[in-house]
Amino acid sequence: MSKYICPICGYVYDEEKEGVKFENLPDDWKCPLCGAPKSLFKAEAVEVIIAEEEEELREMNYGEVSALCSSLASSCEKQYLTEEANLFKKLADYYNSKTKLEGNFEDLINKINKDLDLNYKKAREIATEKKDRGALRVITWGEKVTMILKSLINEDIPTDKKIFVCEVCGFVYIGNEKPEICPVCKVPNFKLVEVVK
Amino acid sequence: MSELRAVRNLRICSKDCLCLFVCPTGATDTETGQIDFEKCIGCGACSKACPSGAISMVPYKYPKQQEKDSEVIERLKKITSSKVEQEQIAKYVYKNGSDKEKVLAKIIMKSNRLITEDLYREAGYMLPQSDNTKKFLEELLEKDKTNKEDIERLLKLLGFK
Repeated sequence: MSKYICPICGYVYDEEKEGVKFENLPDDWKCPLCGAPKSLFKAEAVEVIIAEEEEELREMNYGEVSALCSSLASSCEKQYLTEEANLFKKLADYYNSKTKLEGNFEDLINKINKDLDLNYKKAREIATEKKDRGALRVITWGEKVTMILKSLINEDIPTDKKIFVCEVCGFVYIGNEKPEICPVCKVPNFKLVEVVK
Repeated sequence: MSELRAVRNLRICSKDCLCLFVCPTGATDTETGQIDFEKCIGCGACSKACPSGAISMVPYKYPKQQEKDSEVIERLKKITSSKVEQEQIAKYVYKNGSDKEKVLAKIIMKSNRLITEDLYREAGYMLPQSDNTKKFLEELLEKDKTNKEDIERLLKLLGFK
């Protein structure tokens, strides 16, 4: 017996309580609270993964240590703390070399979908409730860039076009002329750096 | 000692060199292009005089790390975990994929890393001088013997020991 959750309003369909398997519901069945179609519902397995991640959070994995170190490296650089920045960078590279996770674009799409459908939404809810403007900023930018990344995986990147990445927010632009400013974080386009293919 | 010191952003500096003759100690007159922190008294004269706005006054002591709600941090860290995994998968594809896949994988690696770095800044690690960073480095030191010297050096440089 499983539970199925409405991604729009959070309504939980509990097979045990309802006495009818979710898959046996008619195709035109809709969320009784918000009317979302049956096809959008997700099995509660998603929630189980979140519980597992909570365990992981107590101990950062190599990839997370690497990312935090490179984040601190860039903060040191902004403060003109060159030696500190270099040491954090060195740690970031060391931990990055120790990560080993295999996968393919399908795995990436699945993770991106989960970020867009769940992680960013929940984060926005909490950040709004706690009035954390900084968190709301990073959620807004990250969510937009994540949508762009999803569209890039789904489409073919034209080989005759240049690729630029915004070094402030991670926005990716495909085309030969850079936009005046980054459409996501609004930084002038000198921060949009071409990625060498 | 002054609470501030002047730094020059070399990307903006247009070599008007007004800083040279307003600086009372000669701290702006260096071969490296950067301001001599030993000589700088933090008066701000160079910063005010610079027509390009290339000189900022930065504090020696930064403000305390903004308090972050634990639920907000937890939610942001869920995204960082996922983004980190995506970066690693992209790294794997980059190493093993076709040329076409490599291009896409490279973009995803780079973009995800930038998103993650930004998320960490908002999840309590805005300032390298914060208690959160200190705790992170101390815990890392306990587990990591390979980089012991570098981590200890960082703790010292950031004023933690």
